[in-house]
Order: sequence, then C-alpha cells, then structure tokens
Amino acid sequence: MDHKYLNKMLSEMDKDLASKGMTRREAMKLAGLTGAGMLMGATNAQASEEETKKAPTSATGKIVIVGGGLAGMSTAKRLTNMLTNPDITVIEPEELSVSYQPGQTLVAGGIWDIDDIKYKRDDYVPDGVKIIKDKVIDFHPQAKELTTVNGTLVKYDYLILATGMHLDFERIKGLEAAGRAMSSGNNSRLLKAMGDDGVTSIYTAEGAEKTWVEMQKYIEKAKNVKKGDKKIQFLFTHPSTPIKCGGAPKKIMYLTNARLKEAGVRDNAELTFYPNGGAMFGVPEYHDAIVGQFEREGFKWHYRHNLVEIDKENKIATFDAKWQEKGPYDPIMRDFEVFSKHEKVRVPYDFIHITPDAVAPREVGESDLGSAKGWVPVNKETLQHIRYPEVFSLGDVAQVPMGNTGGSVRKQYKVLCDNLVAKMQGKKLEAKYAGYTVCPLITSIGTVMLAEFDWTVKPVPSFPLDPTVERWIFWLMKVYALKPMTMIGMLKTGQA
Amino acid sequence: MELKFEFVIYDDELDTFILDENIYTFTLDDEQAKTFEVLKDGELYLYNWFKDSKYFIDWIKAEVYPDAIGKKIAIATINDIAYLKFYFFKVTSADVFYDYFKELFGIIEESDWQDREEVGEEIIENLLVKRQELIIELKEEQEQEDE
Repeated sequence: MDHKYLNKMLSEMDKDLASKGMTRREAMKLAGLTGAGMLMGATNAQASEEETKKAPTSATGKIVIVGGGLAGMSTAKRLTNMLTNPDITVIEPEELSVSYQPGQTLVAGGIWDIDDIKYKRDDYVPDGVKIIKDKVIDFHPQAKELTTVNGTLVKYDYLILATGMHLDFERIKGLEAAGRAMSSGNNSRLLKAMGDDGVTSIYTAEGAEKTWVEMQKYIEKAKNVKKGDKKIQFLFTHPSTPIKCGGAPKKIMYLTNARLKEAGVRDNAELTFYPNGGAMFGVPEYHDAIVGQFEREGFKWHYRHNLVEIDKENKIATFDAKWQEKGPYDPIMRDFEVFSKHEKVRVPYDFIHITPDAVAPREVGESDLGSAKGWVPVNKETLQHIRYPEVFSLGDVAQVPMGNTGGSVRKQYKVLCDNLVAKMQGKKLEAKYAGYTVCPLITSIGTVMLAEFDWTVKPVPSFPLDPTVERWIFWLMKVYALKPMTMIGMLKTGQA
Repeated sequence: MELKFEFVIYDDELDTFILDENIYTFTLDDEQAKTFEVLKDGELYLYNWFKDSKYFIDWIKAEVYPDAIGKKIAIATINDIAYLKFYFFKVTSADVFYDYFKELFGIIEESDWQDREEVGEEIIENLLVKRQELIIELKEEQEQEDE
C-alpha cells in the first residue's frame, strides 16, 4: 500500500465523510472510542449501560463449558464476574483454541503473519476456572453428566455447549483423506490432502498461511501469461451449509484481486465465484452492493454451484449445479409448480479456494443434545436448550440463524450469562438475543464494507454512514481495533 | 350479503385433506356483513371468526354436511380468499407460497445458501400444527360462541 494509494483513499474517505457532515478526525474519534465496540455488536446506548458492572450474585451450581474457544472462554470469564463463588470447568483439548480466527483472511492475503493470530488456551483460562485438557466423546443429559476421551466422568448442574463447528472437507471427492478439520489444532492431515498445487482454504490458520504461498505462486504464473494465452483461473467456492463468517469466501477473492492488481497482472487472470445459494448475501441491500462490486472488478459468478469433487491431478473442480424449472399447473393450488433440477459441471482451475461445508461435531450431533441436523437446538432468543433447561449453547454449534461470527458471539455470551444466572436463581429468563451479526467484508487492501444485520434481514448500521459503501475507516477497525476488542475486551475481561 | 364457501374434508386415516368441489352459498345478515368487511383482509382472523361462530357451524351442520356429526372439515375458500395453501402445500409449490409461509412462521433462512427443499420441509413441519388449528370438528353440541 503506497502513499499515493493511501492519499487517494484518504481523499475518497474525506469526500464521503464531508457529505455526512463529518471530518476525518471526528470519524476516527468515533471509531477509536466506540467503533470497535460497535463493530463487535454494541449497537446502541443500551450497550454501554449494559456494561455497567452488576453486583455478583451468590447463585451456586457446577457449570461445565464444553469448548474453550472465543465463545466458551469469554463466557467463562463473564460468569466469573457475575458469580461470587463460581464453580466453572472448561473442557478443551486444543492448545491454541483461542487463536484469533477473524485474522485468517488477513494471513491469507499476506497482510498479517500466522503469529499474529496464534494464542494459547492456557493464557486465557480465567482465574478460578478449572480446565480439563480433554475432549468430550459422550453426553448423558438425562443424568447431567458427560464422558471424555480419557474416560473422565464429569457431572454438572448446568452445561454450556460451545464446541464450535467442524469443517467437512472429507465430503468432497478427492479430499476424503483430509477428514474433518477444526479451525484450530493440528490440521496436518488436511494440508497434506490438499497438496501444493493450487488447492487452498483459509479456514484453518495453517491453511490461511498456505493460501498466501499458493496465491503468490499463481500471481507469478499470471505474470508469465503471454498475449493470446489462456488466463490463470482463480476459483472461489461457497458451500451449502451455514459457515463461519459468510463473507469470508468473498474476502479472500477480493484480496486475491487486490494482489493481482498490485502485481499489475489482473488482466491475465480470471476470478470466478461459485456460491451454492442464489444470492451474494442474505440481506438484499448488501447483495446489491456486492453485485455492484463484482461487476466493477470484472469478477464472474455462477449461483447454485456446490463443489462436490476435486481432481487434483487434472486440476478440475466438479460442481453440482442446480436450477429451477416451471412445472405443471397445480389446479388445487391454482399456480404453477416449481421443480429443482441439477447436473454436474466440470471446471478447470489453476488456483481454487475451498470453503468447506460446516457440520456439528459428531459427539454433539449424535447425542440427545443435537438436533436432526446435528446443531444444538436452542431457543434462538434465550439460547436455552429446547429439551434440557439446564443446558445452554452459543457460537457456531448453536442452532441459531445467521449467527456464525465473533460479533454474534459478543451479543450471545452476554445473553447466555444473564439467562444462566437467572436460571440458577430460579428466575425467568429475560435476556434475549436479537440475531445481530456483523461481517466486515474486505473488498480490497484498504477498504471494508461493514455489513451489520439481524433477524429483520435489514442493515442495522452502527455508524451514521451508508452501510453499503466500502470505507477505509472500517478497514482500520478490521486490521487494528477488532483483535484487541476480542482478545482483551471479551476473553480477558468478559466486558466488551 | 352472500359469500361463496368451499370446504376440504379431513381424512383421519390418510392424514390428508380432500377438496370438496361443491360451492356453498352462505348469507350474512347486516351485522355479520359489517364484521366481514372489517376482517376480510385479515386472512386468519376471518377464518377464526367463522370457525368460532355458532350460526356458521349450525349452517354447515344443517345445509352443507347434514348428518355428518364427527366429520372434520376446514374452510378451503371464502369468495376469493383461498386457504388451500394450508392443506395442499408441497415442496414443489410456487414461490409465492414459500414467501407467504416464511413470513407467517417467521422462518429466517440461514442465508442465501439454504435450499428451497429445506425451507419447504420446515414449512410443512409448521403446517402440521397449523392444520390442526384450522380443523372444524362437527360435534353434536358446538362449543362456539355466537357472534
């Protein structure tokens, strides 16, 4: 990012802000003082009041938290603030479970190093909280107990499920050997299965690092494309399941685009997005903005394409492409039926970024705590299990629509803690999650569109600015402000 | 004021609704006509008004399905207002029905990746409950209050 570019961005930002009656200084002040908090979900004045420390309560009970990632550890910390005699145990086998996952995109784009996102679980265990470095393999909710891999039987009065999700690479033919991965932990099996020839995924820390290596390799190849040669094909997929941060598959595409432009070889490459769904984003306003960005950047895209096979030897990606056809007239319903059709489409690639299907951990999905789809069925507002009132869940494993981001967790963990303590006190569960989600959509090196929305499926912007416009100020937040907000505000203090 | 009614008959054994293709005419008095004008845009309010009205049930028992005590029926249409979607929705039904039920049941799609089939299944799951609420069981003595 040279000075000329920065000055251009600053000038663009000044014009934008001036139209809203703000100076850059005022905007930065707003961003510096409250922006990160807003970015992580504190969207109104209520948020600051909410932060006012309440007196701890003397409610008692043994609380077990399964999962020591952002959701689990932040919840543990906040509960220690809320209870005078907390009895909390976290069960987490991975040493790097609290690593900063939102930074994986930046690692893959060559902006951060992998060391910028690696954090040790043991540095984030709140004082007074017990840690069991083991994995749960069996839940017995009727008896309020669970079993770990090493055979430890753990009893609880209250259970919080924050296991996160698994990345189902093994579902893709050609990547069966990858097995199921998690964003943190040892993913050498996955990396080996992907190989070193253009197959990438930012969904693990090491995978993000490797994506940057592969991206540079294929940018170099783009430099050698001669006039009349075939362009280097960069493919980006988006699967058929809920995923961590729905914007991430596009972010890595935008960053690849930025790096190609930086190298002066954008014209030698073709970037194509293959989403399994029929839109770029669930919120129409953001969908329209993204389509505009795709057109501006010369991206191609094909809706309703789901990656089902990778032929690494011949460098062919196979998609299951779906479409709808008008069916016969239904005389009873008095309208035409609609039929879904599908066929296999083979696409040659040079570089492919895979966003894997996300699935619930088997031990959760196959237990009485999991739903038919495996996720933990909770009341989407109170986060309490629909069958077991002493069980709560949050984060990626909770069956809550549109809630797989750190910003959602920031809202959820407060609701969960309030409701759990209310349950322990025999009171009514009054805290409610409204579905807030935030996705800082990186559209280039230096610009971010801050997509904030909730279950109204409408933008809920925290700033008095057009939420569909890409801005440098949000880039600064993404790169500089969000990490301390997460690692200190949520994990270390349980207050943010 | 006259209203044209169509009905569906619920088959307990098959757990399905069968459309009665006959059209029945019901006459409203002035007061009832005024209430109809108020409720006609509130689809399910209108349905429940009739369902809970003794004179309406008495009319069904006397003129529509005489000697049909124990029968389970539901209203299929009232003039141009159709409730057919509640009884005959399928995963292949037109998009307009998906949109209606998504709003009615507060179904929030996981986002743009969710399959039409998956949403359809969720609608049908919700409809299982809703259909039971719409059924009018013809009993010897109805409990409905006269409006």
